[in-house]
Amino acid sequence: MPTQINKGVVGKEFPPYVVTVERGKIKEFARAIGDLNPFYLDDRVGQASEWGDVIAPPTFAVTFRDESADTGALLRELGTDISRVLHGEQELEIVRQLTPGESYLCRTKVVDVYEKAGKSGPMAFVVRETAITDRANEVVATLRHVTVIRL
Amino acid sequence: MKYGRVYIEDVRVGDELPPLVKGPIQQIQLTRYAGASGDFNPIHQDDEFARAAGMGGVFAHGMLSMGFVAQALTDWSGAGSVRKLGVRFAALVRLKDTVTCKGRVLSKASKDEVHTVELEVWAENQRGEKVVAGRATVALPSRV
Repeated sequence: MPTQINKGVVGKEFPPYVVTVERGKIKEFARAIGDLNPFYLDDRVGQASEWGDVIAPPTFAVTFRDESADTGALLRELGTDISRVLHGEQELEIVRQLTPGESYLCRTKVVDVYEKAGKSGPMAFVVRETAITDRANEVVATLRHVTVIRL
Repeated sequence: MKYGRVYIEDVRVGDELPPLVKGPIQQIQLTRYAGASGDFNPIHQDDEFARAAGMGGVFAHGMLSMGFVAQALTDWSGAGSVRKLGVRFAALVRLKDTVTCKGRVLSKASKDEVHTVELEVWAENQRGEKVVAGRATVALPSRV
């Protein structure tokens, strides 16, 4: 019996949360990917660069999450659990580079939920968008995250 | 040309990115990526959990493969050059898989002194199957 997905979450906005970028996290992230670009890893290269510090790799902002939130809550609200979830698509737009010590405000909302027949059975797609702004309230990056739920 | 800077004038439609070969994927890399990204979904760590979930075993975070694709781009166009990257995760990446990231220039544009290149990007496993497919926009400097 396939799971019924709760489409009532469309339009849901999560409480905004603040993320402060840590120098060590940028480096740990670049090393985990195996991307040893000195603009991510070498403080002296960063200081001499146009950004005045090391920068985060392009996909770093996708790791931003609300540490105080119950991450399973949306899945429960949708009527599923972590074992049914796959990452379907990811888009990102970078307006300005993320640098250590900076704090950013993240605002995420659910923009769409739809169902489609996949190769291995029925699936639901949950589309979330996140706007990431700086202290001046200017957008530095936007994310579009498509989660696939195997029904 | 690692960490090289290409100039907009040097790029032609149809040019290909130098392929970036990553892997073979090992469990330790997925564990490191979990720690670095905060994505601790056991489906990438615990083979028993992944099998019970019907996934046939552990597989890599999609975001790790997207990170590889981003690296292929920035190895070519320089750190900080990626303006847009959008991908679909087309197939699972398994332990021991090799992931080769590729790309091809689709178009060039210049507007208000900002020069950008749009690329088709993708990643293949060792059997030539696409595991990631998408589009990217990078900004490049001009010689003039």
